[in-house]
Amino acid sequence: MSVYLSKWRNLSQAIKQRGGIIGSILHLYRTDDLKYGDLVGEDKFGNKYYQNDMFFIASNRWVDYAPQFGMDYDGSQIPAEWHRWMHHMTDDPPTVVPPVNYKWLPLHKENKTGTAGEYVPYSTTRPRIQAWQPPSKA
Amino acid sequence: MSSILAGVFKKAAPAAASLLKKPLYQSAGALTCKRNGATWFPDEKFMQVYESPVMYPNEKTSDFVFNTKVFPEEKDVQNITINFGPQHPAAHGVLRLVLTLDGETVVRADPHIGLLHRATEKLIENKTFLQALPYFDRLDYCSMMCNEQAYSLAVEKLLNIEVPDRAQFIRVLFGEITRLMNHTMGIGCHALDVGAMTPFFWLFEEREKLCEFYERVSGSRMHAAYVRPGGVDRDLPLGLMDDIHEWITKFGTIVDEVDNLLTNNRIWRERTIGIGTVTSEDALNYGFSGVMLRGSGIKWDLRKTQPYDAYDKVEFDVPIGVNGDTYDRYLIRMEEMRQSVRIIEQCLNKMPPGEIKCDDAKVVPPKRVEMKNSMEALIHHFKLYSEGYNVPPGSTYTAIEAPKGEFGVYLVSDGSNKPYRCKIKAPGFAHLAALHHMSKGHMLADVVAIIGTLDIVFGEVDR
Amino acid sequence: MATLKVFSVGRTVAQTLMRQSLRPLSTSASRSHWKNISDKPAEDTWSDITDRAANIVFMKEILSGLGLILGQTLKEPATINYPFEKGPLSPRFRGEHALRRYPSGEERCIACKLCEAICPAQAITIEAETRSDGSRRTTRYDIDMTKCIYCGFCQEACPVDAIVEGPNFEYSTETHEELLYNKEKLLDNGDRWEPEIAANLQADHLYR
Repeated sequence: MSVYLSKWRNLSQAIKQRGGIIGSILHLYRTDDLKYGDLVGEDKFGNKYYQNDMFFIASNRWVDYAPQFGMDYDGSQIPAEWHRWMHHMTDDPPTVVPPVNYKWLPLHKENKTGTAGEYVPYSTTRPRIQAWQPPSKA
Repeated sequence: MSSILAGVFKKAAPAAASLLKKPLYQSAGALTCKRNGATWFPDEKFMQVYESPVMYPNEKTSDFVFNTKVFPEEKDVQNITINFGPQHPAAHGVLRLVLTLDGETVVRADPHIGLLHRATEKLIENKTFLQALPYFDRLDYCSMMCNEQAYSLAVEKLLNIEVPDRAQFIRVLFGEITRLMNHTMGIGCHALDVGAMTPFFWLFEEREKLCEFYERVSGSRMHAAYVRPGGVDRDLPLGLMDDIHEWITKFGTIVDEVDNLLTNNRIWRERTIGIGTVTSEDALNYGFSGVMLRGSGIKWDLRKTQPYDAYDKVEFDVPIGVNGDTYDRYLIRMEEMRQSVRIIEQCLNKMPPGEIKCDDAKVVPPKRVEMKNSMEALIHHFKLYSEGYNVPPGSTYTAIEAPKGEFGVYLVSDGSNKPYRCKIKAPGFAHLAALHHMSKGHMLADVVAIIGTLDIVFGEVDR
Repeated sequence: MATLKVFSVGRTVAQTLMRQSLRPLSTSASRSHWKNISDKPAEDTWSDITDRAANIVFMKEILSGLGLILGQTLKEPATINYPFEKGPLSPRFRGEHALRRYPSGEERCIACKLCEAICPAQAITIEAETRSDGSRRTTRYDIDMTKCIYCGFCQEACPVDAIVEGPNFEYSTETHEELLYNKEKLLDNGDRWEPEIAANLQADHLYR
């Protein structure tokens, strides 16, 4: 009996964490999953990271992408500091063990392919041959 | 019975014929009225025609035109020919199989290969001995580290260097993990082709964990480039052996579950018993190796007959089949997985401490700490990563027991830093060559089961 | 050589005799570890026949298999909900390339071209010039990510830890061109992933 009670408790806690029935339904629509966990931290973009070791490894850490991304969430939106924790390379989140921080570190950028901000390759060297410019008649 | 009937008909035939020959009105008239005119009765000459079989044309009857229709001309009837693949999901990659069918029975199975040909052997001739290594990952891309192991052993034999104990055990450990990876995929896909979908998911769940072990040790989930000439790339990370141990204690249950689901299942047995039978003689003549050979009852396993690395230091049994059919080969693969678990456990327990690369500075690049601190190590580092090492002239054929069979590397060195020739003996090639022999006379659906049991991967067949 | 001599003697002596006498001296591994896995042929006793018949009639193996599957469906699924949950990786993971900088912000690469030399796929192109401050730096550092086979030899060869294969694998693109990385892109990658790359190198430094 206690097993079923704990299941009910888990569900009700998950719903509570998502802010009620409406919030849970919206969350389900976005992530196809509803579970609760401890909030480990939040990054610069507003992505929230949770952990609940009740689930098996790889399922015990998850990210709730920031509301600003809407349905355009993507795996590459996780910045490097949290990427390491998300992929179980370490158990210490950046809130506990801060990563190196240099002043030249830029802001994380998601994978921009297919948008206007995508990377376009170009040559980084000076051209070694000068193209011949035909003399203009005029 | 039929002869008696024929006799009766033979006797009855003249009488019946005479009755029929008599015009109907005459016999009818016999009942109603009597015409006292002359009546023709079949005479002896008339009856002679019917002495012999009636329809058989003799000199007279051959001129008769029985029917106003013109007989159809004789035609050449051809069996249907279909292309199986190269995009068929059961073709295990890019196999194009031209099948000649008689109804649903296979008359001829003609495999066309070469769609994944990448000229690996030729490419290797233009690479240094270290650069050639990643190409071996991509040959049999279901058993990566075994291929690397074969190549590394070949180079080591030419260099005449001995690998430290720990490296040997790591190689055996990961060789067996590779075997598990290959067999989980082989059995899963075979069952999926035959129609059992569930084992595929269960086994791939385990394969995923094996991929993670690969990733933890080498940094790559498939194409590891981990086993190097002279040892292995890096030492096992801390905690990996604990995790492998924890995993193998659970893996036996998964094998048992698949066993429960498949081994006695009547559909599975119907689809596999007596399918693709190879006699031991044929298996030898076709140049089979590995599971295909052992399924036919030939006791041959390179790990036992000519142990390499640390295989002589671990105990394991080699499963042997009797019937040489698909079912026996399936049983062998299941048993090999259990034996692999046994070997892995022994490797974990016996894993010796020490170095993971041999100490020949002219072959093995130095550790990074040394490279940063010692000028000599830095020079060696530069030499090894630009020019590579020179291998003394000579040739070797080094074979290992890859999960699919005997994977051999015939390596010729002319004393330079690049192989002069590298011939790769892939087990799948010989197995595929016997596909016609195995599938002739079987149904079309059985060809799929046979391709599954051959366990061919086109990376190594096409090279 | 001695064994060869023994075998060559074997040709002249009666073959079977020779083999029998040589067997105890053989150095090859014991060949007794063979295990027959084939089904035993069915026996014709009454209990056996009735057992088989009962198994067929009551579909024992089918029903037990279905029971097994029913048990599995009640278990927790083994799949993860990507991109919200992500699979485990190790510090050794070989993903997208990046060019690193020293903590001062100076780029590490000194254009020694070892990575270019070792690359088995010849995916790296480097051109170098002496900079105005007298230091040797690359002017072109291109990696064709579609040629790269991710073997990790470049990061092994690099003497200054400049080129590394970072932990990022989510860089798939819609066009081929976007995967022809130049120096700016690689340095940008290095800057963005530096916190993680540095931590990973630190975690694995004892093994390298």
